[in-house]
Amino acid sequence: MSVQTEPTPRLALNDISCVFGTTTAVDRLSLAIRPGEFVSLLGPSGCGKTTTLRMIAGFIKPSAGTITMDGSVISAPGSSLPPERRQMSMIFQSYAIWPNMTVAENVAFGLRLRRMDRDTINRKVAEMLDTVQLASLAQRYPAELSGGQQQRVALARAMVIQPRVLLLDEPLSNLDANLREEMRFEIRRLHDAFHFTTVYVTHDQGEAMVTSDRIAVMNRGRIEQVDAPYTLYTRPKTRFVATFIGRTNLLEGECLGERIVFDGFSLPRARFEAVEGRALFSLRPQSIALHRAAAPDLVAGTLVERAYLGESWDYVVRPEGGSVLLKVTATPVEIFEVGESVWLEVDPAQMAQISEEGEGALPPRPPPNPLRALRATAMPLKPLLK
Amino acid sequence: MRSYRLRRIAGRFGLYLSVLALISPALLVFLWMISLSLKTEIDNMDYPPVFIPHPPTLDNFAQVFARNDFLTYTKNSVIVSFSATALALLVGVPAGYGIAKARATRAAMLILIARMTPGLSYLIPLFLLFQWLSLTGTLVPIVITHLVITVPIVVWVMIGFFEGLPAELEEAALTDGATIWQAFRHVALPLARPGVTVALILSFIFSWNNFIFAVVLAGRETRTLPVAVYNVLTFEQISWGPLAAAALCVTAPVLLLTLVMQKEIVAGLTAGGVKGG
Repeated sequence: MSVQTEPTPRLALNDISCVFGTTTAVDRLSLAIRPGEFVSLLGPSGCGKTTTLRMIAGFIKPSAGTITMDGSVISAPGSSLPPERRQMSMIFQSYAIWPNMTVAENVAFGLRLRRMDRDTINRKVAEMLDTVQLASLAQRYPAELSGGQQQRVALARAMVIQPRVLLLDEPLSNLDANLREEMRFEIRRLHDAFHFTTVYVTHDQGEAMVTSDRIAVMNRGRIEQVDAPYTLYTRPKTRFVATFIGRTNLLEGECLGERIVFDGFSLPRARFEAVEGRALFSLRPQSIALHRAAAPDLVAGTLVERAYLGESWDYVVRPEGGSVLLKVTATPVEIFEVGESVWLEVDPAQMAQISEEGEGALPPRPPPNPLRALRATAMPLKPLLK
Repeated sequence: MRSYRLRRIAGRFGLYLSVLALISPALLVFLWMISLSLKTEIDNMDYPPVFIPHPPTLDNFAQVFARNDFLTYTKNSVIVSFSATALALLVGVPAGYGIAKARATRAAMLILIARMTPGLSYLIPLFLLFQWLSLTGTLVPIVITHLVITVPIVVWVMIGFFEGLPAELEEAALTDGATIWQAFRHVALPLARPGVTVALILSFIFSWNNFIFAVVLAGRETRTLPVAVYNVLTFEQISWGPLAAAALCVTAPVLLLTLVMQKEIVAGLTAGGVKGG
C-alpha cells in the first residue's frame, strides 16, 4: 500500500490496524487527507469506520501503523498524543452537548480552556452562533432545544475552536428524515465557508455523496476505494463498492474480438479495449433505456417485473435467450407493462469493470510469498472463478 | 366494576397492614424511647408500664445537659463527622470517577472489602499506632478511622453516578482541548451533583452513628455522642429517662436529615443501575 504522494497531507493514516482480542476491526488501512478536504468514511456497520475515527481522535491507539498530522506522528502503537492535545474536535451521534451549560457556555468551553479573554470569547461565540442560526437561543439549556438545534450547537462548539481536523461520527442519524436532508447541505455549506479538514463517518451514502470531496468506502476493516462521489458511483472498482453505493447490475462477460459477450446479449467494447477474457462489469439501472421499437444495437428482452416508486419506475427485464435479470430504472412518464417485449439501449461506456476484491485489499496474513504478490500486480484482473 | 374497586381497596388495606407489621418493632421501640424520655423516673419504674406520659416532663433532657458535657461531645461529633465526610468527598469523588472510567472493578472490590472487614480486627494495631504517633486524646485518630466508613460509601455511590454518564460527554470535552481533570471538573462533576449530595448525606449519617471506633480511640474529652450515650448507660444504669433523652438527642439530627432527604437518598442509591437515554 502506498500513500498518495501529496505535499504533506493534513492527516495521514499509514497502514494502521486495530485489533480487539481476536477481531481485527481495522486492517492495515492507509489514507491521506489534504488540508481543507472533506473525506467521508462510508461503510456498513462493523466495517471499522468508527474505530478509525476514534484512532484519529486519539481515543484508541492503533495496534500497528502510525497516524501523522502535518507530518508529525500523533498516533503509534507505543505512544499516542492524548486527544486533548490534538487540536481536533469531534461531533458525536448523540451530540454530546453538556446539559449543565447553556448554549453559549457550551460553545465557549473550548475557548475558555484556551484562556482567551472574555471579550474575544463573547465575540467568537456570538459570531459562531450567528453562523449556525442559533443566536436567539444562546441562553437556553440543551434540554430546551430540539434535536436539530442541539446538532447545530454541537457543530458550533466543534468549529469555534478552529480545529485542525474536524471529526464527525454519524452526526445525523438521530434526526428525522427531512431534517437529515437539510443538515447534509448545512454541513457542506459550513465546510465551504470555513474549509476545515473534515473526516465524516457515516453509513448513509446519500449523506456522504452530498457532503464529501472524497469518499472512502470501507468494508471489513479495509478501504475498498477512495474517490470523488461522481467517480465512485460511475466507476466503482470492486463488487462491494458497486453494490454498496446505489443499485447496480453485476454482469459477467467475456471479451471476444470487438464485443463483450454477456449471457443472452453482447455489447460493443467501447472503452474496455484492454480487457482480456472474462471480466465482471457493473451496469447502473439508470444507464439502460427502454424502447418499444427495434433499432440497431438494441437488445431485445421481456419485461418481467415492475414497481412504481413515484420518482421513477423500476423494471426487471430478461434479455432474450439469456437467464440474467437486468434492473432498469426509467422515468415515470413512459409506462411499460409486465410481459411486454421491450428493447434495451445500453451504453457500454457507462459500464464499469470491477474486481472481486478492493484495491486496498491485502493478501491475508501472514504476508504472502513474493511470487504471488508479483503475479497480483502484473495481472490487474483477478480470476473471477476459482 | 364495584367488585374491582372493592378488591383494590382490600389490596391497599392489606398492603398497609403488612407494612405496619413490618415496621412496628422498630417503630414501637422508638416510640417507647420517646415515652421514656418524657416521663418522670417514678412513671418509668411503674408497673404496669405507662405509655402516655402524664403529665409529660422535660426534666430528663435538662438533666442530661446539666450532668454531662454534652456540648463538648456534640462539638466532637460534628467535627468528626464533618471532617470525615469532607475528606471522603475530596478523595472518594475523584476515586469513584477514576474507577468508573477505567472500569477498575478490582479496585472497587478492594475498597468494599476494606469496608466489610470488622473494625475490631484492625482497631488494636491502629490504637497502638496512634499512641506511638502520640495522637491519642485528639480527634485526629477518630476522623482517620471514620474514613474507613465514609470513603467506601462515597466511592460506591459515585461509581454508580459516573458510570451512568455518557462517555461521549467527556470525550467531547477532551477533543475540545480539556485535560482529563478539566473534563472531570467542568463536565462530569456538575452532572454528578445529585450523586455528591447523596454520598455526602449517607457518609455523614454513617459517620455520625458510628460507635466502635470512637469507643476504642476516644479519650474522656474526645468522646463522640454515641459514646457519650453509652457512658450514660454505664454509670447510671437505672435512670432510663435521661438515657432515652440522650439517645433521642443523638439520633434526632440524623433522623431529621434522613426524613428530609429520603427522596434524594433513594434516587441516589438506585442511580446508575438502569438508566434510559
